[in-house]
Amino acid sequence: MNLGLLTQLTQAFGPSGYEDKVRALIQEHVAPWADELRTDPLGNLIAYHRGNGKGQKIVLAAHMDEIGVMVSHVDKEGYLRFTRIGGVYPLHCIGSRVRFADGTHGVIYLEHREDTSPSPKLTQLYIDVGATNKDDVPVSVGAPAVFVRPLVQQGERLISKALDDRIGCYILIELLQQVQDSPHDLYFLFSTQEEVGLRGARTAAFSINPDMAIAVDVTITGDTPKALPMAVTLGDGPAIKVQDSGMIAHPKVRQLLVDAARKAKVPYQLEVLRGGTTDAAAMQLTRAGIPSGALSIPCRYIHSPSEMVDSEDVANAIKLLAAALA
Amino acid sequence: MQLSEAVGPSGQEESIRLQLEDLWRPFTTTMRADAMGNLIAMQQGSGPEPRPAVMAAAHLDEIGLIVTQIEEGFLHIAPIGGTDRRVLLGLEVLVHGREDIPGLIGTRPPHVLSAEERQKTVPWEKLFVDVGLPAEKVNQLVHVGDPISIRQPLLTLENGRVAGKAFDNRASVVALTLALEELAQREHAWDFYAVATVQEEVGLKGAITSAYGINPQLAVALDVTFGKQEDDSKIGVFELDKGPTIGLGPNFHPQLFQRIEATAKELEIPYHLDPTPGASGTDAWGIQVAREGIPTSLLSIPVRYMHQPVETLARRDVERTGRLLATFVAGLESSYRPGWEDEVDETAARSDQ
Repeated sequence: MNLGLLTQLTQAFGPSGYEDKVRALIQEHVAPWADELRTDPLGNLIAYHRGNGKGQKIVLAAHMDEIGVMVSHVDKEGYLRFTRIGGVYPLHCIGSRVRFADGTHGVIYLEHREDTSPSPKLTQLYIDVGATNKDDVPVSVGAPAVFVRPLVQQGERLISKALDDRIGCYILIELLQQVQDSPHDLYFLFSTQEEVGLRGARTAAFSINPDMAIAVDVTITGDTPKALPMAVTLGDGPAIKVQDSGMIAHPKVRQLLVDAARKAKVPYQLEVLRGGTTDAAAMQLTRAGIPSGALSIPCRYIHSPSEMVDSEDVANAIKLLAAALA
Repeated sequence: MQLSEAVGPSGQEESIRLQLEDLWRPFTTTMRADAMGNLIAMQQGSGPEPRPAVMAAAHLDEIGLIVTQIEEGFLHIAPIGGTDRRVLLGLEVLVHGREDIPGLIGTRPPHVLSAEERQKTVPWEKLFVDVGLPAEKVNQLVHVGDPISIRQPLLTLENGRVAGKAFDNRASVVALTLALEELAQREHAWDFYAVATVQEEVGLKGAITSAYGINPQLAVALDVTFGKQEDDSKIGVFELDKGPTIGLGPNFHPQLFQRIEATAKELEIPYHLDPTPGASGTDAWGIQVAREGIPTSLLSIPVRYMHQPVETLARRDVERTGRLLATFVAGLESSYRPGWEDEVDETAARSDQ
């Protein structure tokens, strides 16, 4: 596990629509291994591996963007109100720190409430950047920010903000180096704006027009106290998507991944996710339709600032995909 | 501003489109309606071929009503788009049946209501349109599925304010018309496509297909946003007569935003920033993901009482929006393309080493 790379990836600033820093970082790591690189009108980074002319045209997609917040108002005392970029939950916010593109940090807290029983609403939260008045606030309305939380490795577990989906980006970066002999034309798509509606993958898939598309993203697990029933466990192997609330994986893509897992002798799980989807759902409906599937990394506490994955699942996902593309 | 009184509920934009064609013809090189009914007017640029194209879209449709059932001469209704049923009672309407028939929206008088009923908004199933005709005549003239529009003349208020039933989004259609007029007099390198889109209120439909069809290098959507009202919170609402808003967020290309903001500053046009963390709910959302993706921006005109028959705005904001758009388009150099910070240097890839 290249912990240094994963640290850089998870800590990079990249809320949906503002992925520039993540893109620059990934670009640096894939450039030596890619035959072509380009950035498209939505900011997607596409790294191309040229096959031997006998293979298929395959997209592998991981999204660069993370959830975050955006300043909607600054009051005269210098407190900021905010809206969410992607699926941010108010309960996760309280006491969290956020960081703006210019490095400014803020603390999110909650207004005093007489009745503390209902779950707080986002409109009851504010960001405190330590300013004494409005003029003292270094960021303006419209400024995006991301949560602050370092990467920690503890045993096999990895804990950080933004593992959704920098872990997918990590896997694709490592994978590109391992598939240099692949006969297939491979398009490593580092997509933008997944968290606000699978936007980047939609347009990139249109321009690439592949024979098949595979998203690499995170999925929830059923192995925490009183979790919703879900037959995915942290550490039991990468999860091959059967279905989620946005798509049914193409049976041939699913089978390709299952066969690859057997070939590579890595454990795998089958994933049926009831809430949530991936870039694959958008790519599937591009143009005349693209057979699509996904390989998911089991992840606890998705969309909280402390997402947790297992490094063995990550290593096995890379092996599995390398076998699928050989 | 007669456009405000013209009729065009989503899916029924043909009559207003024909009016707009007459209005736009003097300023355009070519004009066509596409299969969905979008009006696409092109003003040819002066730059060398292949000339890039910029598309500006304003939706032509308005919210309205539709006949769902006819019962003893009374028409049951449902909304087209986000019609606010709290404000329908007592309104005059036009039923677009075999001919246009005036009607009104009635409900049971207060005398016969229980105290509880008086406090409640009347549900759709208890709202009806009365056209005053005998049942058999109604059956001849009106059919299920006929659209109904609100009949509300333009009202000129003091202080440059006007009110109307469909400023969402005829205000932007007017701004777009002003831009076309101005650009007809000015040199511009890019081809300019003015698009009056259909069916925005029911899911950005016209924007999706017209952007695909035109495949422009850039797009600007024009729409309305929430004007500050007396009873409003401070967030996400914008004072009238302080200029249009410029959208900020993932739906909008950051460099395009910067360029439009710089144009506003240069023209000394006041503007607001409109932070939009996700779906903008405008044509910009549909256009951005057409084909390979289109760098898109959004200008919005603040309007009070949105989706009510008394949408109110400041005329100057409409003029400012038109002028800002025209100057932005005129300023596009042939070679301009919005890019990304740290954009990939092609030579970085292995094949070029």
